[in-house]
Amino acid sequence: MKCIFKNKRISSIVAVAPSQEFRFDDEYQYFKMTEPQAKRFKKIMGLDRHRIAPPDVCASDLCLYGVQQLLDAGVLKKEEISAVLFISQTPDYILPPTSNVIHGKLGLGHDVICLDINQGCAGYLAGLQLAFMLLELPAVSKVLLLTGDTGSKQMTRENRINYPINGDAGAATVVERSADEKTIFMDVKNDGSRYKALIIPGGAYRMPSSPETLKLREVEEGVVKCLEHVDMDGAAVFNFTMDDIPPQIEAVLAYSGETRDSIAHFFLHQPNPFIVTQMTQKMKIPPAKVPNNVVSLYGNCSSTTIPLNIALNCREPMLAETRRVCLSGFGVGLTWISAVMDLGPLDFCKIVDYKPA
Amino acid sequence: MDKLEFYQRLAEILDVEEVKPESVLKEFDVWDSLAILSVLAMTDAKYGVSVKAEEIRSVVTAEDLARLVETKQK
Repeated sequence: MKCIFKNKRISSIVAVAPSQEFRFDDEYQYFKMTEPQAKRFKKIMGLDRHRIAPPDVCASDLCLYGVQQLLDAGVLKKEEISAVLFISQTPDYILPPTSNVIHGKLGLGHDVICLDINQGCAGYLAGLQLAFMLLELPAVSKVLLLTGDTGSKQMTRENRINYPINGDAGAATVVERSADEKTIFMDVKNDGSRYKALIIPGGAYRMPSSPETLKLREVEEGVVKCLEHVDMDGAAVFNFTMDDIPPQIEAVLAYSGETRDSIAHFFLHQPNPFIVTQMTQKMKIPPAKVPNNVVSLYGNCSSTTIPLNIALNCREPMLAETRRVCLSGFGVGLTWISAVMDLGPLDFCKIVDYKPA
Repeated sequence: MDKLEFYQRLAEILDVEEVKPESVLKEFDVWDSLAILSVLAMTDAKYGVSVKAEEIRSVVTAEDLARLVETKQK
């Protein structure tokens, strides 16, 4: 579904990473890998290190820490916040919505929309789309878009498929109206028939939590998990990224009248460096326009890879000027959303380590 | 499709000197999810073919795989 929006912009981005950093070279023993296996895995997948939150730190804590940075810097005032969107698959509670918990901790007034959205790697784009829609309402002035996940809590460390690429992180993005009329183009697609490609089968209400769903099994060499852990059909996900995403990005470029040349940066979701490299080659985009270092340095942090990518690789230019960029998020659902829009000059753009006082 | 070249590309992924048409893929030490991913990427990048996850699991020998890619190219 194609959508267009006008007079809206991202004004601030802050990404928050847990300060605990772990290196693949120190961890491969947990995945039952020999040294040659580990070397091969590291080289093909382009891994190096990642950030993992301590057990008592939730995604919402990372997001709130980010919001505090924006408040302290004076680029956001509490009374300007009209909506709190929390995009995550690791909420604080099954109920109430974590956006309400955040609303309470921030001490916001009652005239605020709070929504939790269960989304993963397409979550940044899903959140942006909703923020743009909310900003069509005259009563809404600024939308606080919070993305965050502590995926490490949905897997064991003894899981060579998911754990080494996972990263925990959160981000706060402020979306607001702007005088600039440069159109934002988006394309949103879903295919629920492939919902099993990425799934946590147990622990909710289709398969309630029980001793059986919590039983750890070694399902294959170096992969220990239970039914309440994330289950990914890696080959099906790879097919998805190669078959469905490049045509969508090409379609949204055509829709917006842009080309590979006229777009300054392609901020793609980063499942792992291997997939991003394959996609970049397939779309014949110069690799310099497709930053691809988030997973090597922080891990795949789901809906937060895109804001983290922007802050990691383009902080200075994004604070200084406007650039035409392409954003693309794709993952669990399956959901894939791509956009062409102007980005910058931002009021705030930074990555911080989570160091609560 | 140049089959010799295809087997050479498979050999690189499987980290061996040579892959023969009758070689059984599952019998290679490194035939794991990472190798499967590398094969999917190779067929897409070099032959413009999207081999599906379930298709590659049903393939037995290197020649079966070559035939699958060839059929898909047509």
